[in-house]
Amino acid sequence: MFNLLRMDLYRMIRSRAVYICLGIMLGLSILCCFMVWMFETPEGQNMALRLGMVEISELAEMEAVGSVLEEMDFLEMFRDMGMDGGSHCTMLGIVVALFVCMDFNSGYIKNIMSSHRNRWGYVVSKVLAVGILNFGLIVISLLFTLLANLVLHMVPFVSPAQILFYLAWAWLVSTAFAALIILICVLTRSTAMGVLGAVFIGSGMVTVAASAFTDLFHMGRWVEYTLYFNLSYGPSAYSGAGDLKVFVVGLVFLVLYSLAAAVVLKKQDI
Amino acid sequence: MAKEEIREKYAVETVALTKKYKGKSAVSHLDMKVREGAIYGFIGRNGAGKSTTLKMLCGLAKPTAGEIRIFGKTVNDPYVARRIGCLIESAGLYPDMTARQNVLMKAKCIGLTDQGSVDKVISITGLSDAGGKKVRHFSMGMKQRLGIAVALLGNPDLLILDEPINGLDPEGIREVRQLLQLLNEEGKTLIISSHILGELSKIATHYGIIKDGMLVEQINQEELERKCKSYFQIEVDDVKRALPLIAEYLPASSPEVYDSRILRLYDLEDGAELNRVLVEHQVQIYASGFHHMDLEEYFLDRMDGGNPGKDR
Repeated sequence: MFNLLRMDLYRMIRSRAVYICLGIMLGLSILCCFMVWMFETPEGQNMALRLGMVEISELAEMEAVGSVLEEMDFLEMFRDMGMDGGSHCTMLGIVVALFVCMDFNSGYIKNIMSSHRNRWGYVVSKVLAVGILNFGLIVISLLFTLLANLVLHMVPFVSPAQILFYLAWAWLVSTAFAALIILICVLTRSTAMGVLGAVFIGSGMVTVAASAFTDLFHMGRWVEYTLYFNLSYGPSAYSGAGDLKVFVVGLVFLVLYSLAAAVVLKKQDI
Repeated sequence: MAKEEIREKYAVETVALTKKYKGKSAVSHLDMKVREGAIYGFIGRNGAGKSTTLKMLCGLAKPTAGEIRIFGKTVNDPYVARRIGCLIESAGLYPDMTARQNVLMKAKCIGLTDQGSVDKVISITGLSDAGGKKVRHFSMGMKQRLGIAVALLGNPDLLILDEPINGLDPEGIREVRQLLQLLNEEGKTLIISSHILGELSKIATHYGIIKDGMLVEQINQEELERKCKSYFQIEVDDVKRALPLIAEYLPASSPEVYDSRILRLYDLEDGAELNRVLVEHQVQIYASGFHHMDLEEYFLDRMDGGNPGKDR
């Protein structure tokens, strides 16, 4: 299994999709930081005025938005920039779909499976590799935002313990989502299905639509146990044992999807 | 102990191997035996079940029933996986990686840390100059070679190659043939499926013919040569009249009734003598001449339900 993990990491480091995803995430972070800076700081507002992005009559409106943003802390800003809305999961899901489906599309899976008869190892290695990638993407994105905030003095910082708490569960929940994409890819062996799954499930479209439907029958409570809901509305700071629910949800889905992917792979011929 | 020793003689041994897809048999009760050190030519028409069988040997497809033993062990034994190298259907390669990276990936996959073996397989498949080139720029033949290089990594004792010379130019075919012979001389067992029977007959020591998922015949090269040896074929108006004459005048000619009008004589040296005898006895001759059956003819004959030598 660790040989497979070494192989997966070797390929991941050389994967263009990973760097494109990282580039897009950092690009989004730059854009968001710039917008926050522009709305929140007098220098930013002046620049917007100078560049003709707003008119003097719109400045009061802009200041009102800025005052709302002032109530934000660093973690809230980071979450709003990508994690909560599902853009991180969508991007990660697309990379995972491209990464896993390439094994099937290229036929390299035959080389792997002929030397590794244990198909559980394949899935565990993929989940671990994707978990490492996810961790890297979140941490780089966070460090980048941290640096931007340090330079632009946009929002107040939060304690490192708070950041670590959030990082831990956000990583677990988003890795569980990546395991779902692995399951879709193993099941369908189709890049298109994997990417569609990443877009529709990662962005929360499926959850929101299903929740709206079941709400009609007053049965919408299940949504609190979905990955999307937990990633979007999970706690930013630890305040009690109830906050550990996100870890439980993330772990349960991670194990469930990984097991399902392994069972599917075990039952199918290559 | 004795049973184990008997099994050890075979690199591959299948017992009643069966694979069904949606109730339809792709491979049915296949009893295949491949001796260690053999080059086993596995032949059959498209859809006969060759690739399915080879996939099951490589652990890529799960048999519906039956047993597979490789070097005396079950197919899922980790020891077996280390001793097999395979190239099934097209070469499985990452198109956006270089040839060397593709081989390196397999090396990592099997836990090989020795960089020398990566260079070695690239070199012996003649890809040293293309090692840094991305696979998507490779020709079909180069991909096949790289597929063989990937299969060779880890120095496996058994190589399972499905259509390894597909897409190769004549020079490439010759090089791959020489490579396979060299590998066999080093003691490796090879199972090769190919539609290019002329090429296969140059290197194979044993053959297995599969038809509609069933193994029709397993023969070695000597048996094949014996069955394919030259014969004199004669078409006459009445075989029943010709046979007693042949028995009387040319008793050592080993005649075989091919059908109601055609006779084949396997140990005849002088065709003119036979023609003379038959004409003198008013047996009409429509055609006659010497023939030599090659693997292709033999294979087609077997596929059409013929059984050379059955009436001899």
